[in-house]
Amino acid sequence: MEKICLLYWLTSFLIQTLVQAGNFSRETKKLKMKRIFISLMIFLAVFLSMNAAASRERESKQTILRIGTPQEVKSPNVFGDYNLSIFIKISNPPLMKIDSQGHITGLTASKVQMSQDFTEWIFTIRDDFWWSDGTKFSAEDVLFSIVYTGKHYPYAAWIKNTLESAALVDENTVRIKFSRPYTRLDLEFTSYNIFPKHIYEDIPDPMNHLNSGENIGFGPFFIQNIDLNAGVICFSRNPYWQGRQSHINGFEIHIYKNTDILSLALEKGDVDTYYKYASSYPYANIERLKKTNKFDFSTKLNIGLVFMAFNLKQGATADLDFRKALSYAVDYDEILLLDALGFGKNPDRGFVPPSMAGYTESEDLEYDPDRARRILSDAGYADRDADGFLEDRKGQEISLSLLVRDDWARIGELLENYFAQIGIKTAVRFLDLNSWVAAKDHYDYDVLVARSTPWGMFMHANWGTGYFDSRRTGQGVLHNVDDPSFLKLCDEILASGDPQKLKDLARSVQRYYAEKIPAVALYWNEIVTPLKKEFSGWKHSPLYGIYNIDSFISVRKTE
Amino acid sequence: MPVFYKKALRYALTLITIISLNFFIPRLMPGDPVINLAGEEISFNEDQIEIIRKEMGLTKPLGLQYLNYWKDILQLKLGYSYHFHQEVSRLLFGRMQWTLLLVGLSVVFGAFIGAFFGSRAGWRSGRFGSRLSTSLFLFFYSVPPFFMAILFLYFFAFKLGIFPLKGYYRTGTLPDIIWHLVLPVLVLTLFTSARNFVIMRGSVLQEKNRLYPLFARAKGLSDKQVLNRHVFWNASLPLITLIALDFGFIFSGALFIEIVFSMNGMGTLIYDSIKALDYPVLQGAFLVIALMVVSANILADITYSLVDPRVRHQR
Amino acid sequence: MKQKAPSRFKGLMKFDQEAGRFPASRAGMIVFMIFLFIALFAGILAPYGPNERFAPFESPSHSHFLGTNDMGHDILTELIYGSRVSLLVGILTACLATGLGLVIGLVSGYFRGITDEVLMAVTDIFLMIPRIPLVIICAVFLRSSYWLIILVLGLLWWTTTVRIVRSKVLQIREMGFIVSAETLGFSKFHILFSEILPNTVFVIIPKFMLTVASAMIAEASLSFLGLGDPSSKSWGMMIRYAFERGGFIRDMWWWYIPPGLCITVCVLSIVLMSFSLENSVDRFTDIFRGLIPSFTRMRRD
Repeated sequence: MEKICLLYWLTSFLIQTLVQAGNFSRETKKLKMKRIFISLMIFLAVFLSMNAAASRERESKQTILRIGTPQEVKSPNVFGDYNLSIFIKISNPPLMKIDSQGHITGLTASKVQMSQDFTEWIFTIRDDFWWSDGTKFSAEDVLFSIVYTGKHYPYAAWIKNTLESAALVDENTVRIKFSRPYTRLDLEFTSYNIFPKHIYEDIPDPMNHLNSGENIGFGPFFIQNIDLNAGVICFSRNPYWQGRQSHINGFEIHIYKNTDILSLALEKGDVDTYYKYASSYPYANIERLKKTNKFDFSTKLNIGLVFMAFNLKQGATADLDFRKALSYAVDYDEILLLDALGFGKNPDRGFVPPSMAGYTESEDLEYDPDRARRILSDAGYADRDADGFLEDRKGQEISLSLLVRDDWARIGELLENYFAQIGIKTAVRFLDLNSWVAAKDHYDYDVLVARSTPWGMFMHANWGTGYFDSRRTGQGVLHNVDDPSFLKLCDEILASGDPQKLKDLARSVQRYYAEKIPAVALYWNEIVTPLKKEFSGWKHSPLYGIYNIDSFISVRKTE
Repeated sequence: MPVFYKKALRYALTLITIISLNFFIPRLMPGDPVINLAGEEISFNEDQIEIIRKEMGLTKPLGLQYLNYWKDILQLKLGYSYHFHQEVSRLLFGRMQWTLLLVGLSVVFGAFIGAFFGSRAGWRSGRFGSRLSTSLFLFFYSVPPFFMAILFLYFFAFKLGIFPLKGYYRTGTLPDIIWHLVLPVLVLTLFTSARNFVIMRGSVLQEKNRLYPLFARAKGLSDKQVLNRHVFWNASLPLITLIALDFGFIFSGALFIEIVFSMNGMGTLIYDSIKALDYPVLQGAFLVIALMVVSANILADITYSLVDPRVRHQR
Repeated sequence: MKQKAPSRFKGLMKFDQEAGRFPASRAGMIVFMIFLFIALFAGILAPYGPNERFAPFESPSHSHFLGTNDMGHDILTELIYGSRVSLLVGILTACLATGLGLVIGLVSGYFRGITDEVLMAVTDIFLMIPRIPLVIICAVFLRSSYWLIILVLGLLWWTTTVRIVRSKVLQIREMGFIVSAETLGFSKFHILFSEILPNTVFVIIPKFMLTVASAMIAEASLSFLGLGDPSSKSWGMMIRYAFERGGFIRDMWWWYIPPGLCITVCVLSIVLMSFSLENSVDRFTDIFRGLIPSFTRMRRD
């Protein structure tokens, strides 16, 4: 089809030039210009419509699902590029996954066993996988990937440092032994992809290896082509896939640099759905999409949330009563309305949202500025110099340093307002990622606004403890709680395998959050995904939303 | 001749200074570059960060880093980008190609359109046609670039649906590429031509007051001939320096256009590298731009002396 | 005394007369004055306070002429207060840039020799620094305040002014009255600031105006990228929030078009004003002589 277009285009162009070159007799200059202009316009119109037609035709031949995403892929490196490594969860699925109930179950692995002391883990691998180049998938690939990833992937250095031995027990079973116990190793392995041994054993430096052509996979689809200049990643059906056949011939990931333009593309029909890891479709854009009547919307309560955390060591926020007062000062309805356009729920004091397994109910968070003021005055805070702002017990005026990242600038403004209402002066600092991390690590703040991702909530001892335990440091965590009772709670969770005991411990954790207030959830948001009505059969996973294998197998085009 | 050496020396010194600045400026930015590779994920700890820091060479003393820098530059080794997982030179080359196409076309078109219409408008400044074109180009000069880019995209690509919304191409054929480039090049050209128009018009207006156009008229040349043969070339002098500078800065890309039209160019590369504190990419990009600018300036000097006999004979 | 008043008035009249030759530039001056007025008297003109919050995402109505934004702020109020920041940034940047350019150009052109070479070399270096990336770097570096934007932009834009000033100074320094002043024994600095300076000021006024215009657009562009001051309510920031918080996608054109239009019109008016000046800089020597009495000592050959 393209060749015909090209030919047509060339011939019409040639005709144009010939026509223009000649000079009709008795034609004035003005008329000649007019003639050339008009013919140019006609030519342009034909050209444009042909291109538009060509692109439309290409799409109707096969059922190709097109997914729009604002997540940028920086380089065609399936091993090292962060966003690309999320996208290959379909072609190179990890060992484990988190099912819709929130439990960690096998994906590539069919069974998991661990030793009593959690140092030794045995994974039984499923037997019916094939690589898209025809090679049989085996436990050797798993073994290879674990060691290889530990060796080359910087953030998996913990594998390299603590792995004692890794070997095949039999054809389908891998046993790995570590020098220290890992109670939640299965969680870690929901994120590491599996690579083909017969290809990567010849690649000495995978972090520097680019391949924008075919990248083989053993899932239902594999990467056919990565074209970053067109902003498209093409996945084709794995011809050797033994599982249930999918109903689509392939799918494409279209990368947009600007979310609004992506929304327009969705509306126009250039893409069929939207996906961004651990994020909802921008709430403001939903209404417009609804009006087109071409989309259904799935809403799931997020496991991650937006919250404000406190400096528990210094300043006014070190005082529990002060924190309690602040928790009554926030207008939760308004924040939910303004920041998430109402797509979500008001949170409770337990911090953990109901979408997470192990959730127990706690006291609701209420907006009660009078009560807040009462708590403050009872605790000894008063406005002695009558300037509208309270001083602390020593007589010094309180000025809260509030850190916000630019994404949440509006929340910063709102909080400043709310705190001013109860007489607390706030100085808001808008910071970029680096400065925010630096300030956070040096406890250079009183209040901090942050977001947790689903992954983050699962980390460490589950239920968000990964963010607060002061022994865990890292880029996104706050490590602001060093209360021994909390740390003991975390250790107990890490050591326990008994589901009933874990349930009780979960309740204790949430009670701790409610009573000691290391942080206050601001709202629990919903993850809204627009799904084109033409396609049905989507399945959701807590970690990766609609982007999971079950989804791609069952989704089909309905007419 | 001595003047030539002086100029050459000055250019050489400028280049050396810029290359050195290139080294120091990225390192003066605050924040830990290792942090930025991680983003928001929290699945690693401080030991791992130190390992990466050592791999990047950031633990060596500053002086040693500087010497290594010069050694690499002279070998055209521009380093490795951890953020993009590629050699910097390869990354730059890939992006430079497309940026050259996008921005280069706009600079050339903008130069011709702006100079052409500007000179016409300046020459016959009272007529309605000139006033119309002046108002039109002034309007394009005053609109914020990103604003117009988005409005154009919204109107032509979305509402009317005749142009695509993103990318340099979809299938890679030549008509496809052209189709994708029309809108961005159009928007950029409007801006460059607007600025050129304003300058050219002002320049021609000034030339009109001189004696030589009158003399040429007296000689018997028609208005149009006077304009095209004499006034245009003399009036274009201030424009030449500006266009030379435009060529010099081609590789700093067109950031807003690239973001709005989802194109991978030098503009977004530099912007992403700044946000990610990717030192090697920034250094490489600045080096490329500095080289281009110096050569463009040299070229402009030569062109200037060719076009303007006064400059030629001044030495 | 009686002589000065009429000559000042005559000067203004001549300005108007001059501007009258390009009626568009007179319109430009009027429009710019309107913007200045709005900026100065924002408190009185705005219907509500800048921090008052109402129901969000409202369409234009009687009580909210331009509706409300995502936080419930009245958009018209934001627009009026926004003029302050945008104009302030523009004017201050231009002052810094042209001021710096003026001083360097004067010194370089008058003293010549090594000073000239060094200063010109420095100018060359600054000219070759790619501006937008450097501005982005500094804005990422220390971002919270618009004073920083003024500083950074001002320190980058003086290069073009320098060249113009320098060539004018080179022209003037050969003139009779300078030579005679030198012979009379006045110190170099005295001559520089009281004889040469007044004569060069007019040359850069059009440049000054264009710098104001460019600075306003640059500030808007930076804000759009997210590198501006988030707490300032400039027009650029308004456009940014409009796009980021769903104003664009919800077709709330009354949110993003007015600030864009304001920037365009303001910049347009400045450019038009500078138009008439550019075309007859010589004529303005007479006019300004009338406007500013201390410059009456100026002589022309």
